[in-house]
Amino acid sequence: MLKEPEYMTKINAKIMEMQEIVESVGEQVQDALKNKRNGLKPVASELCREAQVKEELIVEMCVESIIRYQPFASDLRAVTVAMKVSYDLSRVCRYLRNITEILDEFNIKSCKVKEVCELLKDAREMVRQSLKYYFEKDHRAAANLIKSDESIDERYRMILKSYATKKVSGTCILFNGITARIVERMADHACYISHETIYLVTGRRTDYR
Amino acid sequence: MADKMIIEELNAWFDTKHVLKNINVKIPEKKVTAVIGPSGCGKSTFVRCINRMHELVPGAKVSGKILLDGGDIYGGMDVMDVRRKVGMVFQKPNPFPNMSVADNVVAGLRLLGTHSKRELAEIAEDRLKSVGLWEEVKDELKKSGASLSGGQQQRLCIARALAMNPEVILMDEPTSALDPASTAKLEELVRKLKNEIMVVIITHNVSQAARISDMTAFLYLGELIEFDETKNIFEHPKNPLTERYITGRFG
Repeated sequence: MLKEPEYMTKINAKIMEMQEIVESVGEQVQDALKNKRNGLKPVASELCREAQVKEELIVEMCVESIIRYQPFASDLRAVTVAMKVSYDLSRVCRYLRNITEILDEFNIKSCKVKEVCELLKDAREMVRQSLKYYFEKDHRAAANLIKSDESIDERYRMILKSYATKKVSGTCILFNGITARIVERMADHACYISHETIYLVTGRRTDYR
Repeated sequence: MADKMIIEELNAWFDTKHVLKNINVKIPEKKVTAVIGPSGCGKSTFVRCINRMHELVPGAKVSGKILLDGGDIYGGMDVMDVRRKVGMVFQKPNPFPNMSVADNVVAGLRLLGTHSKRELAEIAEDRLKSVGLWEEVKDELKKSGASLSGGQQQRLCIARALAMNPEVILMDEPTSALDPASTAKLEELVRKLKNEIMVVIITHNVSQAARISDMTAFLYLGELIEFDETKNIFEHPKNPLTERYITGRFG
């Protein structure tokens, strides 16, 4: 890969700032889920709004870069990919906020949440790794990460199936099912980031979304 | 996509300097093909070989084949016939300063023996309309071609080339001396021309190549490094040299 242009360094610095926000929300949601604690929604909403503002700024910086520098080839791919990665991060943040919403909606004191907690932990790790590979432009590691999504999907399906045989309250079924679905979508966005990383490095689009 | 021109093993020299090396390329008809590359890479020599202008330079030599619709332009085709079929537009507009606007357009036809005033006037009007100049000059047809603006002069030169009913038009950096508005008009004209003929345009402006061409050829040190659809060249070129050039890392 060629040396990154200065404007891309600035754009990626903003994506890193977004990542910090999303990771902070993720940590707080993880803790709230583990301890079955509600009331996190205002904080998560505020942080995700902040992330969204950064996403808009990133898009603005990308458009400005296209106008000013008229990038081509890998430079052009870097700009378009940055826009998509910022969007994916913004979506991850909104999914995390959704978990805080359902934590507020359901009384889950009697529910077992260990499986969804583990699922969330792994999905967050996938997001973190996908960004690491994006910044490092490591398309091979990105391709491996996409494969690991199958495991998240499988665990999501297992959570749904397990409730078909268990005698637990409807609230717990609903809470775990919806949360697992949200987490599974978060992992999908980690995969999207990885697909973008592959495109960034190789110029070849892999079929997704 | 039918190939209008097939170039095989094209080599060119200025005395002992080997400036084009084994160029092999098939250029499609009714498409705009941009030729890009750093200064001195052989772009101008390449297009000058296509209409046999290279051989006009003392000490210049050419080998290989250039087939236009199957006929080898270096294999028995009459030079004048080649230059009628392959028109050329240069970097700096070069209207004949001692001729009127209308006479500039039909100068080549006159040389080839068309003398009917009515026919010449009709052709002049038609070609000036083709290049979008008619409305701007219809009341000044008798004025000197040199009195027009730079952009108008360049379009006048294209009208002059079109008057010969060419099958190919070669353009050597035709907008390098023009302002943005004139450049935009000329680019629009190039896009229009491809509906009728094959256009090969040399440009130093990679954004311009991306804007107006269907195919792009990248030359470097006399070699054809990459030739592909413009979208592929500008989104994911196969050769790292092409990548380095179009992203401004060298050249």
